[in-house]
Amino acid sequence: MSKPVLRVQDLAVTFSSYTGGLLNRHERQLRAVDGISFDLDPGETLGIVGESGSGKSTLARAILGLVKVSRGRVMWRGEELTGLDEEALRQKRKEIQIVFQDPVASLNPRMTAGDIIAEPLWTFYPNMERLQVEERTRGMMKMVGLLPNQINRYPHEFSGGQCQRIGIARSLVLNPKLLVCDEPVSALDVSIQAQIINLLKDLQKKLGLALIFIAHDLSVVRHISDRVMVMYMGQAMEVAEKASLYRRPLHPYTNALMKSVPVPDPKLAAAARQESWLKGDMPSPYQRPKGCIFHNRCPLRVKRCEADVPALRRLENGDWVACHRAEELDLSIQVPASG
Amino acid sequence: MTPTLHIKQLLVCSLLGLVACSDQESDFGRPLEQRSHPVDLVLLEDGRPDPSVLAADQVVRRGNGEEPETLDPHHALGVPASHILRDLFEGLTAESPDGELIPGAALRWNISRDARTYTFYLRRDMTWSNGDPLNAEDFVYSLQRALDPATASSAARILLPIQNAREVLAGELPVEELGFSLLDEFTMQITLTGPTPYFLGLLASPVAYPVNRKNVEEFGDQFSKTGNLVSNGAYVLKEWKPRVSIELEKDPNFREAGQVLMERVFYIPSEDASTEVKQFRSGELDWTNEVPNNQFKWLQKHYPDELVTSPWMGSYFLGFNLTQEPFIDNPSLRMALTLAIDRQIITDKVTQFGEQPSFALVPPGIDGYVPFSPEYADWTQEERDHEALRLYEQAGYSDENPLRIEIRFNTSDNNKKIALAIASMWKQALGVNVTLVNEEFRVFLQNREQKVITQVFRAGWISDYNDPYSFLELFRTGHGRNDYGYSNPSFDALLDEVGTERVRARRERLMFEAERVLMSDHVIVPVFTYVTKRLVNPRLKGWQNNVMDHHPSRFMFMLKSRNPDIQGEQQ
Amino acid sequence: MRQEGLLRHATTRLLGLVPTLLILITIAFFLIRMAPGGPFDGEKVLPPEIRANLDANYHLDEPLLQQYFRYLGQIITGDFGPSFQYKDWTVNELIAQGFPVSATIGGLAMLLAFVLGTLIGTLAALRQNSAVDYSVMGVAMLGISIPNFVVAPLLILVVAVYAGWLPAGGWDWSWQRMVLPVITLALPVIAYIARLTRGSMIEVLHSNYIRTARAKGLPELLVIRRHALKPAILPVISYMGPATAALITGSVVIERIYSIPGLGSYFVQGALNRDYTLVMGVVVFYGVVIVVLNFIVDLLYAWLNPRIRYDVT
Repeated sequence: MSKPVLRVQDLAVTFSSYTGGLLNRHERQLRAVDGISFDLDPGETLGIVGESGSGKSTLARAILGLVKVSRGRVMWRGEELTGLDEEALRQKRKEIQIVFQDPVASLNPRMTAGDIIAEPLWTFYPNMERLQVEERTRGMMKMVGLLPNQINRYPHEFSGGQCQRIGIARSLVLNPKLLVCDEPVSALDVSIQAQIINLLKDLQKKLGLALIFIAHDLSVVRHISDRVMVMYMGQAMEVAEKASLYRRPLHPYTNALMKSVPVPDPKLAAAARQESWLKGDMPSPYQRPKGCIFHNRCPLRVKRCEADVPALRRLENGDWVACHRAEELDLSIQVPASG
Repeated sequence: MTPTLHIKQLLVCSLLGLVACSDQESDFGRPLEQRSHPVDLVLLEDGRPDPSVLAADQVVRRGNGEEPETLDPHHALGVPASHILRDLFEGLTAESPDGELIPGAALRWNISRDARTYTFYLRRDMTWSNGDPLNAEDFVYSLQRALDPATASSAARILLPIQNAREVLAGELPVEELGFSLLDEFTMQITLTGPTPYFLGLLASPVAYPVNRKNVEEFGDQFSKTGNLVSNGAYVLKEWKPRVSIELEKDPNFREAGQVLMERVFYIPSEDASTEVKQFRSGELDWTNEVPNNQFKWLQKHYPDELVTSPWMGSYFLGFNLTQEPFIDNPSLRMALTLAIDRQIITDKVTQFGEQPSFALVPPGIDGYVPFSPEYADWTQEERDHEALRLYEQAGYSDENPLRIEIRFNTSDNNKKIALAIASMWKQALGVNVTLVNEEFRVFLQNREQKVITQVFRAGWISDYNDPYSFLELFRTGHGRNDYGYSNPSFDALLDEVGTERVRARRERLMFEAERVLMSDHVIVPVFTYVTKRLVNPRLKGWQNNVMDHHPSRFMFMLKSRNPDIQGEQQ
Repeated sequence: MRQEGLLRHATTRLLGLVPTLLILITIAFFLIRMAPGGPFDGEKVLPPEIRANLDANYHLDEPLLQQYFRYLGQIITGDFGPSFQYKDWTVNELIAQGFPVSATIGGLAMLLAFVLGTLIGTLAALRQNSAVDYSVMGVAMLGISIPNFVVAPLLILVVAVYAGWLPAGGWDWSWQRMVLPVITLALPVIAYIARLTRGSMIEVLHSNYIRTARAKGLPELLVIRRHALKPAILPVISYMGPATAALITGSVVIERIYSIPGLGSYFVQGALNRDYTLVMGVVVFYGVVIVVLNFIVDLLYAWLNPRIRYDVT
């Protein structure tokens, strides 16, 4: 096994917000990411899944240094990113890039597709010749499936999927080694989603990228990931090889997510909803439950879950899970999931 | 350039950071304290100042109120224009620093027995500013121009006493029929419709100034502009920058150029009296047109040597509308209201500028006339209030049935303060309920004239000429400004007699009698008589206070400063 | 295609000016004539003979409708007629003298306000909810709420009277005489623009494409300059149209207090003196200036915002 390119160790991000007036100001802390650790090998794809509010996007931004980290470390090829100053971190953008969720809003409406894609080149290679920049830009457009003659069009002249292709071209123009995709397809139609996922998969193969792919449902991640991490309220519930996770989820939360995967058949969908595992909503992030943070929504909870915090522990097969009952439960999937 | 100035400029430049900084030396910023101490005035035997006490730079900067509406003397009506025109032009008569009439272009004159024909003997050494000779024909041409209907001058009304003026203005007679005749090149006669004792004074006003015929015919509408204007006074127009400044320069062709000490005169227009004061304080003006009412106390304390106040030929009073209730045929009520005002409080606490409390129409000091003074002028205010209450009740009013009236005035701070004070005095002494109504000036004038909705209204008069008649004629039956609806045949008869009376003492007695009749009819509530108030650089001499507030620059001169350093700065 | 759209847009707007101005002229003409009193009414009443001469001279003796059409005919040739009040000048001359002064003061004030306002606003937005933000915006609040007739005398007193650095008033086209009026005029506008900029800058900085720009590895300054500034000043641009019109057509208060021969007092003086031609001239001139400036703002807006370029027809 090769050395991991990215090591995330006990990473935590805390947001402060203030309530009350000027005098009785009261600080509240929101732990968006709370002690996440994982390694990522070169060329590997890690899928990160969780409901909205589980902290997955914050985790993505923390890895890139776009938000302030309150604890833990991010090591990139042996170098700690978390301690770097703004300028040094900025230099790392050449190696680590991100694709955002809302493809249209993430593009500056006042810039042409070409300028959007070329801007990182202007920034990091100010001496690059114009022609060379344009050539590279056209090449990138071609690579992501855009027509090079659309170079002077504005974002509002493209569809959502095409905008995401621009976003991907833009993120890859500097030849990064790691691409973090923060729900890159959740704003797109289902038919387009597959195109984009396939595109990313092809590019990853072609460019040898390490990929972090974030989504809020497991089916999207399944196709592209080597390993999957399931997050809940800023913590990792399970980190497992794709094959074993989809065959036999270890954590009740993973199982719950699996059940809530949209099913094409309306009858089955109704049935799935009826036996929905997930009870109620995610608790307020300001009032985290004691014990297992999932226990109040978990249909399989026991007394112990309310008091003891389950540690993320490694099982015999190498997967990681944070559940007291992981071994005793059998959450194998009876109906093979589609996709 | 001094280093300190450099730093200032840099500071100011960085303050704005936009405009390029020029290196030009500015002439502002001389602190007043250093400028304001003149050396003692030393006079030579002929009464002129010793050259050794004069400042090197004989320049005066006069704040002049609003922008003059015109420099064509025949159209000029406003006070700001008249100040400038008095320097530029000279009529047949002129005024000395104390406001007395002195020979102008006419060296002497005769008045006929019937007081209707004036013969003027003009000086023979006069020229226009362009060097052309000036003679009686120029004056006849100019007076005809002023009265020509085609000129359409509003100032022409001042010349109405001239024979056939009304008919010529109405277009019924040609200008040649006006009462002017040319006896020879330097002698002319003016015939009047009737005796007009103040006529010589009228000839010193701009509408009677001569204009250069060639000049007018060459430039037409443009003749009063910079570079065009030819004049006959002590100064010529050097530059007119509208609403910025009007610069006059001493005319070497003026007959008494040798006597004129002030070389240059700047008239600086200003729409705001406080700005003028600030410009004066920062050394940009030597003379302000006025000072704001609310700064009197402060200026008195900080600029006692500079602050000058002097009686002016104007009165501030309230008028009654005699054609409507409640004042129609109600002299007791009118007298009650007249009595119940404490004028001393108004002048001391409200207007604050040394205005004189007044019990009559005509201000004191006009051509030697002593105004009528009613009995109650000598009472205490308590006595007046007591009598006022008696009259008020006699008129049928009481606490249960109080009088409700409006005081109407044109919008201005001062008018409002005065109206407020009077309202509270009436309320306190009599229990009158007063409503204050302010109106824009022309709306106010129209309402006054229509005599329908007015009850008590602000009135006042500033005379055109140095004669009490200017005040009295307002109350004649049918006069255009008789907004009171006053009509008293005996008053009118007295004015008719004043119009024909030649003997000064008798005429004065007639006017006194007319004023007495008017005051006994209680047509107006006298409040105070005006004063002029301004700041003057103590180094500026040669001028005197006068009731007309006319101050020709040609008599002025600037003394040296006591501080030799400052003297050095006077390039 | 884009140029064509813009050109057509421009032509339509300019043609639209004609009826707008015609309505403006008509309303203004009859409104000022309806006001009580006339140009020759004063405390001192004119004898009827003189009054008749004046009325004839200025055609005031004609029926009102005839005067209206006479005025229209005259104005088509670009002639605003002679001023009633300032007898030596035509209205054209007065505007030609006053407008450059007002436009200089107003233009400089607008420039200053735009530069400082956007700068301050951006600064406050970048340091949102910090001490810098609070103090800058607090000062801006003061700038808006203190009227210029309070600021101006204070400035004069401190800078001109006590310090003697600058003249207290008057005009000669020197920079010294421009400084105080420009600052006074600009202050509330700086404050307003700063607030506008801050608000929209905060909004823009939270937008997704700014996040993208940061992710691209752009230095923060470049993020602001290239991506955030343009959209953030859009509201400022649309505010600047009418604001510039108001500034460059002159402010009565500023002109009075600093004794500046601008256009603003002509409007007020003209109205108070019932100087019909002067009021009309200034009104028509204002109308043209406002329409032209709004038009320029439209073009600027289109330039800053490509999405609306194609909407213009």
